[in-house]
Amino acid sequence: MSNLVEIQGLVLRFYTYEGVVKALEGVKLNLIDGETLGVVGETGCGKTMTALSILDLIPPPGKIESGQIFFKGKEKTIDLLEQKEAFLRGIRGKDISMIFQEPGSALNPVYTVEEQISEVFMLHRREELTVAAIEAIERDAESARGGLRSFIYGIQRRIYRKMLKNPRSLSLRFLSRIPVVNRYKRRLRKEAKKESINILRQMEIPDPERVADMYPHELSGGMQQRVVIAMALACNPTLLIADEPTTSLDVTVQAQILDLIKKLKETFKSSIIYITHDLGVVAETCDRVAVMYAGNVVEVADVIEIFKNPLHPYTKGLIESIPRPGKDFKSIKGTVPSLINPPPGCRFNPRCPKAMEKCSNVKPETIEVKKKHFVSCHLY
Amino acid sequence: MGVGSRLREFRRSMGPTIRELRFSISRIKKSPLSIMGLAIIAFYACLALLAPVLAPPVPPPMGKDDPFMMWKDINIPARERVIPHPPSSVHPFGTTEGSYDIFYGCIWGTITAFRVGFLVVVGSLAIGLFIGSIAGYYGGIIDEIIMRFTDIIFAFPALILAMALIVALGRNLDNVMLALVLVGWPGYTRVIRGEILRVRSEDYVEAAKAVGCSDLRIIVKHVMPNSIYAILIMASLDIGAIVLYAAALSFLGLGAPTGYSDWGQLIAMSRNYIYANISSPMKYWYVYTIPGIFIFTFVLGWNLLGDAFRDILDPTMRRR
Amino acid sequence: MGLKAYVVRRLIMLVPIMIGVTLLIFAITQLFEPIARASIYVNPIRVRDWNAVIERYGLNDPVYVQYFRWLNEVLRGNFGYSQETRSFVVKGLLTKIPATAELVLYSAPFIIILGIYLGVKSAVHKDKAIDHMTRIVAIIGWSLPSFWSAIILLSIFYGIFGMFPPGRLGNTAQHFITTGAREGTYHMYTGLHTIDGILNGELWITWDALNHLVLPCANLTLIQIALLIRVMRSSMLEALGKGYVVTARAKGLAEKEVINKHARRNAMIPVITLSALLIAGMLTGVIITETVFNIPGIGATAAAAAIHHDTPFVLAFAMFAAVLFVTTNLLVDILYAYIDPRIRLG
Repeated sequence: MSNLVEIQGLVLRFYTYEGVVKALEGVKLNLIDGETLGVVGETGCGKTMTALSILDLIPPPGKIESGQIFFKGKEKTIDLLEQKEAFLRGIRGKDISMIFQEPGSALNPVYTVEEQISEVFMLHRREELTVAAIEAIERDAESARGGLRSFIYGIQRRIYRKMLKNPRSLSLRFLSRIPVVNRYKRRLRKEAKKESINILRQMEIPDPERVADMYPHELSGGMQQRVVIAMALACNPTLLIADEPTTSLDVTVQAQILDLIKKLKETFKSSIIYITHDLGVVAETCDRVAVMYAGNVVEVADVIEIFKNPLHPYTKGLIESIPRPGKDFKSIKGTVPSLINPPPGCRFNPRCPKAMEKCSNVKPETIEVKKKHFVSCHLY
Repeated sequence: MGVGSRLREFRRSMGPTIRELRFSISRIKKSPLSIMGLAIIAFYACLALLAPVLAPPVPPPMGKDDPFMMWKDINIPARERVIPHPPSSVHPFGTTEGSYDIFYGCIWGTITAFRVGFLVVVGSLAIGLFIGSIAGYYGGIIDEIIMRFTDIIFAFPALILAMALIVALGRNLDNVMLALVLVGWPGYTRVIRGEILRVRSEDYVEAAKAVGCSDLRIIVKHVMPNSIYAILIMASLDIGAIVLYAAALSFLGLGAPTGYSDWGQLIAMSRNYIYANISSPMKYWYVYTIPGIFIFTFVLGWNLLGDAFRDILDPTMRRR
Repeated sequence: MGLKAYVVRRLIMLVPIMIGVTLLIFAITQLFEPIARASIYVNPIRVRDWNAVIERYGLNDPVYVQYFRWLNEVLRGNFGYSQETRSFVVKGLLTKIPATAELVLYSAPFIIILGIYLGVKSAVHKDKAIDHMTRIVAIIGWSLPSFWSAIILLSIFYGIFGMFPPGRLGNTAQHFITTGAREGTYHMYTGLHTIDGILNGELWITWDALNHLVLPCANLTLIQIALLIRVMRSSMLEALGKGYVVTARAKGLAEKEVINKHARRNAMIPVITLSALLIAGMLTGVIITETVFNIPGIGATAAAAAIHHDTPFVLAFAMFAAVLFVTTNLLVDILYAYIDPRIRLG
């Protein structure tokens, strides 16, 4: 079992008016090929930022100060933080995809569903679409009787063959700008639309042809999220990062989407990083769990192990605070610290019931306490 | 609860307000444009206050009884009085057509500008506050009627309606101000009504009602503080626009009478001297350039300030 | 509701506003004395006996009676006699419109294209050099008195350099056209000298007209562009902060495509509503610009009419402006509903 993603010592800082926000302080995380890794923590603990770092989508004034993010490609493993923007663009949406919390705002209100999904296909799967278009041209050419039609098909065939051979040629770029002539691109769009409808069907969306032509605001939250997932899985990515995809949905819809994700994982064989603050969801869907607090990973273990045997006081607090019928409410006292002036040493120490003097001075190391169970705490 | 702890409570509750205020002030200090705006307006305010000292009114026969009328230099021989004269020790900015002193006109014109700007804005604002509150508070048919009325006035471009009104009312500066108020009050009415409606439907007003606050308390404590920013921004940007409109009307001959200390009027007098002749085309540059600079910088100052207010006070844009 | 229902509803709402506009104009006429009001019925120069005129046209009748009589005339296209144009108002207006139309026609593309481009660039490169420069240009344009900028432009380019003279045409061209029209050798197809020149095969006339158009168009553009830049910039900034922009980046789109294809499309929507305001601004702007540059369009005529107490023309001009403005608003609202699917279908 090798690691698909390995994050080492990731340090992320935001340079704001009120001070330097130390958002991530040496995050160490890895994702095993084929698994679903859950990343849990309260709002503001850095889960989303870690995910955005993988794709280098950190908004300014944020800056990644140091660290490495290793990603296992088809041939070799590369450090994503060392790559150029053009390279990363080739990866985004194709090898690594991300879906976000609010599907309503993730979709552009002025384009139809199909247009937005097709965009991904046109971007990353252009060759396959071109081949499919050529086949369609051949079919049409056969049934044509000659004359103007055949002539047009002939031209189209040549253009598409050229697109296959040399997609960035000057003549093609020139042609695509002329108003009437560039209608040849419609074939490509048609093929893309076919693929989009296909994937909508795979998302268990009823009547995908109709939905494809609808606008995002015409769909319910659950449907919107399915569309977003469709966009993400369109090119069969090796890694899917899901950032709280069900948080803004109703509970029943949430269950449906979770089911869908599980099924899709089987079909598409992607590894998933699932970010959430809901432990229930984690229990249902994840193989392993990483718990984050205030910019650090505090505990990592298999899902059953972490529920049965939580080691870090924060994890224990989280699990104990799950409401159970018949029992009293338990909560972790205190609030999440400011990341501009975080507590020294272990950042959890002001709230920790087991805090020792060492905790406020020295940052704890990550230790493998049991097999495949890591914890970052001075108790061990 | 003693006085001491009450005071402590108050100071603690004002904490966030003071912090926000200090943040605003620091933003103002950081933005060079807003400092420039403040400086410009302060400068003109000084000019206006010191006008009688900087440009003392000249008694008749050269001047008139009204200090706002520019004085004519009778010492210039009658034949040469018609054309402008370049700046000299007697006339720091030169004279314009008819030998009026430009310096005097510009300095006292500052007072005119402030006067016109403030009176019109305050007038429109007052009417707008009154009518807008009624519309926003009572709603229903009263609101509808008021809104249709503002719609009708909005159907006209401002300057054009003002022009029509002035033709009807008569050509003088007071009528210019009246016309601008008549054209301007719907703008403020709409904004205030909009603010009242917006704040009324906010959650914190619902919460206040649920806790038992009376309507008046809600308006004063919740609606007003939240609407003030919008009104402040609108007013400071408006002063600049009003001064421009008034100047344009004076330029066209529909405002201040000839010889009055008004920047627009001064430029109106310069129309024949835009280009003199081939050899020295900019011979009379001082006649139109200097008053124009006054207008431009005055309006610029207010616009910079209004822009700065908008950037600073808009809560959504206060991204640190 | 569908697009059709929306259009119908807006058209219906148009009626009360138009009625209100007429009421307001009529109210203004009532501020004048009966003699001035008589000019809607007769040519004031030819009148000897004012009392008879007042009797005949009921100028002292109750207000509502007068209103309907006046409205009747207005709807038949009679606004009265204008001394400024020495003809009936509507005819006078129509003869002056081509000059203004030409001016607006050549300014509008610059304003729109330049305004949008600079606004987008300004938002995308927020707080960098281009942003500051554009905002400075915008705020200068907003603060400049349009008559002053016109004078400065004229004194520099024409006064010093002798380029771009004022007026609409040079003397030679004007003479050529007048004699040509009289003799039938030159046809005024559109009234726009730039186009007529081409249609008549006299390209030098087109060139001359364009030469005269440079400064006035520049002045109009300078004043109007400020608002457009500001609105485009803030609307673009808002769009750039939305979720679909992050999603677009996460899909692997190049930044240029994210900006142009996703953000800008959404940002244009509020800008479209602004274009109605631009029309109002143009109507106001031409008054000053035409006056300074001596262009015989409706703006300059209205200004002269105002000074010479030619009330029919001024009021007719105001009504024209209002009708144009309201109609443009309506068209823009419909366009807005068409472009933004949320309004159309939601």
